[in-house]
Amino acid sequence: MVLPTRFPVDKATGSNTFWVNNRQTVIGCLIFVAIVIVIPFTASTSMMNIAVFAMIFALPAIGLNLLMGLGGQVSLGQAAFFAVGGYTHAILLTKFHLPGLVAASAAVLAAMLVALLVGLPLMRLHGHYLALATLGLGFIVTIAVREWDFTGRTTGIYGIARPVIFGITISNNGFFFWFVAPFVIVGIILALNLTRSRAGRALSAINDSELAAESLGVSTYALRLKVFVLSAAFAGIGGVFYAYQVAIVSPETAGFEVSVELLLMVVIGGLGSVWGALAGAFLIVLLGDGMRDVIPAIIPGATGEVQLLGYGIVLILAILLLPGGLHQAATVLWRKLLSRTRRAPVVEPEDENAQFPLPQVSTPVETGEPILTVSHLTKRYGGVVAVNDVTFTVPAGKILGLIGPNGAGKTTCFNIISGALAPTSGTVTFLGRNIEGRKPHVAAEHGLTRTFQNLQVFTSTDVVGNVYMGRYRQGRAGILRGMLGLQGAEQKRNRAVAREILRSMRLTDVADELAASLPFGRQRMMEVCRALASQPALLLLDEPMAGLSGGERDALAHLLRRLRTAGLTIVLVEHDVAQVMSLADQVAVLDDGVLIANGDPESVRNDPAVVVAYLGTDRDEAESELVELEENQ
Amino acid sequence: MKQSRKRILAPLVLVASLAMVLTGCGTSNLGGKKADSGAGNDGPIKIGAVLDITGVGASLGVPEQNTLNMLAKQLKDSGGIDGRQVQLIIEDDQSTEDGAAKATTKLIQGDNVDLVIGASRTGPSVAMRPIAEAAKIPMISIAANAVIVEGSKWVFKTAQNDLVVIQRILDDAKTKGYTKLALIRDATGFGEGVADTITKLGAERGISLVMTEAFEPSATDFTPQMTNVRGSNADAVVIWGITPSAGLAQKAYVQLGVNKPVYQSHGVANAAFFDAAGEAATGAIAPMGRLLVVDQLPKDNPQRDVIEKFKADYSGAFGDQPSSFAGHAYDAWHIAVAAMKKAGTEPAALRDAIEQTKDYVGISGIFTMTADNHSGLDSSALILADAKDGRWNLYKD
Amino acid sequence: MLTDFLQLTVAGLSQGTVYALLAVGLIAVYTVRNVINIAQGDYATLAGFGAIWLVTAGMPLLLAILVAILSVTLVSILVERVIIARVKNMTVLVSLIVTLGVSILLEAAMLILWGPEARSLPKLPGEDLFIGGVSIRSQELWMLGALVVVGGGIVFFYEKTKWGKALRACAEQPVAARIVGISPVMASVVAFGIAGLVGAVAGVVYSPIYLTIWSGGLLLGLKGFVAAVLGGLTSFRAAIVGALLLGMLESYVSAYVASGLRDAVAFFILIAVLIFRTQGLVLTPRQGRA
Repeated sequence: MVLPTRFPVDKATGSNTFWVNNRQTVIGCLIFVAIVIVIPFTASTSMMNIAVFAMIFALPAIGLNLLMGLGGQVSLGQAAFFAVGGYTHAILLTKFHLPGLVAASAAVLAAMLVALLVGLPLMRLHGHYLALATLGLGFIVTIAVREWDFTGRTTGIYGIARPVIFGITISNNGFFFWFVAPFVIVGIILALNLTRSRAGRALSAINDSELAAESLGVSTYALRLKVFVLSAAFAGIGGVFYAYQVAIVSPETAGFEVSVELLLMVVIGGLGSVWGALAGAFLIVLLGDGMRDVIPAIIPGATGEVQLLGYGIVLILAILLLPGGLHQAATVLWRKLLSRTRRAPVVEPEDENAQFPLPQVSTPVETGEPILTVSHLTKRYGGVVAVNDVTFTVPAGKILGLIGPNGAGKTTCFNIISGALAPTSGTVTFLGRNIEGRKPHVAAEHGLTRTFQNLQVFTSTDVVGNVYMGRYRQGRAGILRGMLGLQGAEQKRNRAVAREILRSMRLTDVADELAASLPFGRQRMMEVCRALASQPALLLLDEPMAGLSGGERDALAHLLRRLRTAGLTIVLVEHDVAQVMSLADQVAVLDDGVLIANGDPESVRNDPAVVVAYLGTDRDEAESELVELEENQ
Repeated sequence: MKQSRKRILAPLVLVASLAMVLTGCGTSNLGGKKADSGAGNDGPIKIGAVLDITGVGASLGVPEQNTLNMLAKQLKDSGGIDGRQVQLIIEDDQSTEDGAAKATTKLIQGDNVDLVIGASRTGPSVAMRPIAEAAKIPMISIAANAVIVEGSKWVFKTAQNDLVVIQRILDDAKTKGYTKLALIRDATGFGEGVADTITKLGAERGISLVMTEAFEPSATDFTPQMTNVRGSNADAVVIWGITPSAGLAQKAYVQLGVNKPVYQSHGVANAAFFDAAGEAATGAIAPMGRLLVVDQLPKDNPQRDVIEKFKADYSGAFGDQPSSFAGHAYDAWHIAVAAMKKAGTEPAALRDAIEQTKDYVGISGIFTMTADNHSGLDSSALILADAKDGRWNLYKD
Repeated sequence: MLTDFLQLTVAGLSQGTVYALLAVGLIAVYTVRNVINIAQGDYATLAGFGAIWLVTAGMPLLLAILVAILSVTLVSILVERVIIARVKNMTVLVSLIVTLGVSILLEAAMLILWGPEARSLPKLPGEDLFIGGVSIRSQELWMLGALVVVGGGIVFFYEKTKWGKALRACAEQPVAARIVGISPVMASVVAFGIAGLVGAVAGVVYSPIYLTIWSGGLLLGLKGFVAAVLGGLTSFRAAIVGALLLGMLESYVSAYVASGLRDAVAFFILIAVLIFRTQGLVLTPRQGRA
């Protein structure tokens, strides 16, 4: 993603901020509530005005922060949804005379609906294309409301009466501040909960590695679309309050300047930090207002939107010097203050020889029955045929080794089975379902998962967080439950399972370390743990032994045998022929995209075609080399 | 655990410290006491103004701002109103509707002004109106469109109604025998409703509107609109906008060889029109107040002295000549001050006093307000001017 | 009718030349540095104002134009050295945000230096033509000429010369670029210099008829970007054709549909292209997350 995401990972303290911790939210909100109560009594009138607008803009900023920090998508058109909310509210109030609550609800729904409609096609785009498409959307909305009689053309919709709550007219800034504040607080709580929820973790994971997240059952497109719509909902509520406070909505509300201000709030506050978005909103509104007074005082004759000078400087400096925003600054400050009192985490010594309980596996079909069937699989890249009419069956409860020289098409074949690649022709049937050409998460949902030759680690979280993501398939809580914080039990259970699995692979000592800080071999072991955490029926391992030490190889081989005994089906792509021969029940050999042998290890070892393929033309020499090779392993 | 909590709380502390910044002096934000308010009949008087100082309306708002500042200083030097000092607070709406609304709210709620002047153009004025009405604070707009004051109790205006401007144009067109007009109008509030008015008033005079085109005040390329006009069968063309866009439209019009007589609106009653249109300005006819042609007026014209003094004061203070828009601001200020001298600053009394303005000789005309007429000017406030030699000249009084 | 259509086509083409020059600048940077430069359009306004300021100060028109173009080229290189080169973890998305900052900064600086009013440069010498009822302003011919000479020159440089090809290879094959003796730093500087140059040329040729205003660069740059997307962000030729088509389409929509929809045209095209033709237009089949 764009800038380092800031979701709770704490390498230095080794803390478990990864998990739901309502106490933080409660304490934070209590402090905030206290501030909110005090401000109208103490602030000067101009500061009060700033505070009100900061609260209004905090809502779309929090939404944008979720989209950028969690969803990993940049929107340069957040103001479009802000305006849709504001316009809908204003029109329903002034033209249809609906009650405020009804109009506001409809306004939020309208913003979400627009987001859904544009999101359906747009969320398929990647990165900067989405950013630019949303920018275009902002301009289109501005022009649409300007050209349409129903939206009041250039003048907009005006004459919005002050809101009345419980018979009290919200007629001044102090009351208005209290009127918005509860919504901001609820918004913050929902957003904080979301960042810690199953869906929030998954979104974070997508940003680190879309491929790995999908192979664990995460539907990237659906989740991103949901968070896009959610972000629009926040913007819509902001628009409602804006319409109330300003008493007019005009085309400028949807303008690029507003989108830029919202973007600034998020970047300054710290990407992914919900509190940061709030602080960013205060800072930018304050800065905008302050600069308009300060710059003309410094530079005589300067008039107009001179606050832009400050925005530009702050934006550039933030990206150059403080990519984590205010959140980063605050964190660093705290670290310095607390550095003296920090203790190293205590790690319990592990018994080297202890037999750990085995991770759970799924056994949907009887041992020996086919679980995966690959039939006439072909993949062409232009004129090159990478996989040519390959057919084989994987029996349940067995280990299938897929071997072949470099460039034989092993990984291509593997990627097609897992869904990362679509075949040119042929079918892949898993548990009776055709899965070829579908996204990886489809197969993953039914119990097919994989590891990667080129590691796909979720770098923004710790080791246990990575393994926890493997439990995604076992969870059910969606965005809504996540926001309401109603999944603590589920998360606690899954966290225990994740730690259990780490123990079985002797990774407990690094469980709380940042995944990216692990040495290569242990990262690979962690990936195996992550895959096992999903309680798979079929596990695809892409060169799992590469980069492991001898001890680690033995431990992994031992674990794989035990898993097979427990009923797990494993497909192994491996360079280490000896390991494959000793582990696999069945070995398939690819050469130049063609399946040249498929059978038990003994028969494959003796297959003349295999020997030739592997080691050249001279059979005797090849055979002796093969023996030598195996002995040396 | 403990540390992590603090880590999460860290940004909160930032919010808290921001909140500390926010806590300033102890004025009430909750609508209770209004300690520094001028809403009573003692203490300093506060007049707020919302102007298009930047953005597309800047050519209007800047001279208006100058004028108000100059008049406020003059009033201060002469001792204020009944011994009370008058404080002028000017806000820039950046030529946007929501900017005007925000500024008005700030002036009325934050600064507790006794009266608001503004905005420079119709759109922002219309946005201000409901806010002033809800707060029951008198407002004097300096923009043109009649919708600003229609049916309002609290809102007045000093620019000539576009209705009478259109009448002047149509009358002249009729005497010249034009029967088909094309309209190229500003797409904002200033240009809204103009087509309907021309159609309605034209029917009485045997004149029809054959086509309407619109342009944004920020536009710089007018070829598509002018190409359409060139292809139409109109006898004459009305360009309805403000400078600089109306001037650029005039330029494109000439460059594309349309060759039909042009009427401009009172939105181009300034020298900036000639900067934008250059030589292409020559020949345009526009209804406007007498300010720009005061030197060509007969000696006995009752407005002549007022206008000449204003011009002298303005050019003395700022070095250049005032525009008609500066005149609108001048009139708004003087009407407000006269009413305050008469009735004080209690809002309802002040409003009544403004409504009773009678035979006030101003820059834009001679004002007489009534309960039904919050504009106060009739068609005698306008002359027709034609563009020649880089300035506006008296064409028909 | 035909006359009107041709007139609109002329207006659209001349507007399109501005977009085309800006698109060339955007692609010149994107192919070398993988940066989308939101400030591209501001180079144009900056050059326009610079030249106007110099002319007002008494400098001859052509000299003022030359000085303005060179200065803006330097500004662009400065932006690269001082800001772009210092960003850690530059991705396309970060580039969008940081160049947005540059754009805002340049616009605010112009507002403070030269005020909010739109201004124009004196037009270059030449007589306006009037052919068969279609008016062609001499300045429009100058704009077309600028596109052919400057835009064409840069396309030639990038596509036909050893240096240019090596520059383009820089983003994907730094090693290959090094072999011909171009360091990534040098490549980046050259690319930004070119972007500044074409932006500035566009700015000085359009100023006499479209005027220069402090806030105008953003929208111009974005429309240049839409043209660049039509060229898949890599093909100069496709982008130039796209830019001219965009200008013409805007002109037709403005006249035949509604003038207020003019600015929406580009963004509808942008979204439509991104949704329906992404695969056919983007750099690589699977762009990946940036």
